[in-house]
Amino acid sequence: MVYFQKWKVVIGGAAILLCLGAFCDKGGLSGAASAEKLVISSAVLCEDVQERQPLYEGVVFSIGIGKIFCYTLFDPVPEKTYITHNWYNRDNLTTKIKLSLQPPRWTTYSAIQLRESDKGPWRVEITDSEGRILQVLRFSVTE
Amino acid sequence: MDGFLIFLQSIRWQDIVDITLCSYILFRCYVIFRITKAFRILIGLAFLWIFQRFAVSIGLIVTSWVIQGITAVAALIIIVVFRNEIRSVLQVKNIKALFWGLPQQPFHAPIQIIADSVMDLARKRIGALIAFPGKEDINEKIQNGILWDGAISKEMITSIFWEDNPVHDGAIIIEGDRIHEVGVILPLSHRQELPSYYGTRHRAAVGLAESTDSLVVVVSEERGTVQIVKGSTITPVLKKDDLEKHLQQHLGLVIRDPSDQKKEKNEIRIAAMVAVIFITSVWFTIARGLDSLVTFEIPIEYMNRNPGMEILDASVNSIKIQLAGSVPLTRSLRPDHVRVKIDLGKSVVGQNIYTITNENISLPPGIFIKSFNPAVVDVTLDVLDKKNLPVQVDWTGKLPENLRMEKVTIEPSIVQIIGGRQLLNNITTAYTEKIPLESIQSSRTIIVNLALSPASLKVAPGFKDKITVECSVK
Repeated sequence: MVYFQKWKVVIGGAAILLCLGAFCDKGGLSGAASAEKLVISSAVLCEDVQERQPLYEGVVFSIGIGKIFCYTLFDPVPEKTYITHNWYNRDNLTTKIKLSLQPPRWTTYSAIQLRESDKGPWRVEITDSEGRILQVLRFSVTE
Repeated sequence: MDGFLIFLQSIRWQDIVDITLCSYILFRCYVIFRITKAFRILIGLAFLWIFQRFAVSIGLIVTSWVIQGITAVAALIIIVVFRNEIRSVLQVKNIKALFWGLPQQPFHAPIQIIADSVMDLARKRIGALIAFPGKEDINEKIQNGILWDGAISKEMITSIFWEDNPVHDGAIIIEGDRIHEVGVILPLSHRQELPSYYGTRHRAAVGLAESTDSLVVVVSEERGTVQIVKGSTITPVLKKDDLEKHLQQHLGLVIRDPSDQKKEKNEIRIAAMVAVIFITSVWFTIARGLDSLVTFEIPIEYMNRNPGMEILDASVNSIKIQLAGSVPLTRSLRPDHVRVKIDLGKSVVGQNIYTITNENISLPPGIFIKSFNPAVVDVTLDVLDKKNLPVQVDWTGKLPENLRMEKVTIEPSIVQIIGGRQLLNNITTAYTEKIPLESIQSSRTIIVNLALSPASLKVAPGFKDKITVECSVK
């Protein structure tokens, strides 16, 4: 009888350990740092960036301004990583800019120089280190 | 000799059928219309036309125009003037008569019996009124006729006008070899200068004759005289022979002897030969005339395409074809008479190469292909697919000074597009038509169409193709 109860305790304990293991795999007890994901807090197109702040945000830019900035603020940044700003003129990829991020919060931006032939609809795809699209910003360059 | 043999070999069976049919049609037209007055006018018209072509060939510009105008007007006038004659020829009871045999002579009135009867009635002082209609319809002028439709005999005519017969006071209408109607009331003449001894019978005879092209024979009951009335002329008739002559003249009867019949047969044989020679020469002028070359750019028609596929690209959209034929045929040839068809029934997704042969090109008869270019067409086909695409506004122009477009909201922001799979793979955004920025003075809503390119792309059913753009400016 005592022998049988010992086996019950062993089986019960193993079941509890298995459940805990499964919970930990899903992040339940794996720690706060690993649970956090990279999040874009703000992403805008602007004419300039000064003191880590975007200036003159918009969705239509005159070719005369010469340069366009894509400003992105990530909060939180769980770990040191990098993101990419992919600039498309219509459906053609024209510029790809890799930008590194540092935890816990990071502001970064990219810019392109405008030429006369750059008029038309544009988009910037912001992708993570694995190429997943985090956000798409659309704008136009006009006269 | 060799040239003649080559020529004989080049004649197709269709050419022989062509000439035979047209010759027979021309010959039948002659046979049917030769007895009409319109035929002579038609011959005159044909000469006018020949003269007009001659005037053109020697460069008489104004003369050819004038004759062309006269011919056109004359053709119209002939149809209007001779409509009754043409109708009577074409309104045959037996349709076979149009295509075969000689037109049957209409049944003629037995003139001798009629003349004999009329003179007998005059001798017996029995009043009579006999109308012979001409080509005009008299039904609107006469009334109260009783349909008789009886064969003509002396006894019958005498009995109709016998004074105890209830219809003896009216007129009889003779059409062909039948008494068509009896007891007919004719319109009375209102002429003042008619002799006072003329009674109602005479006035009725004059009334019908002057209002139609009929001939009316009237027998006076009181005086036993016979008179013929035609138009406004009243002619007394004393002898039976005179009456017969008048009737023959009115009914257009000519006594034919066997030599006339032989002559007629010869005339028809000559007409048949002339028809064959004329059509053969026309055929040679048109179909085997001097060669002339003409070049057309013909669009390619793609047939039997699988509905699930669409043409993504083609190396050419049209081919240049050089055609040859006689001058009249090439001159009348238009690009839409020529068709180039490619059967896509066995095509596959991707590149399909087709070699164009003469079988792909359909031409009117008498026109031949000299050359065409290109001979190979490369057609790329794709399977139809659907793809959801984000919509983006395509701004153009310049925003007014001191204005900044801060935000744009698009509804719907995503549309489903149908098009070729390969085509859709390369497209990531659906753009709107260009919106001019000059028109933006303040925040506003604009409704705009999508500008899908290429045109084969379409918005899927259930999705809006009108895009609402809400823009906020500062």
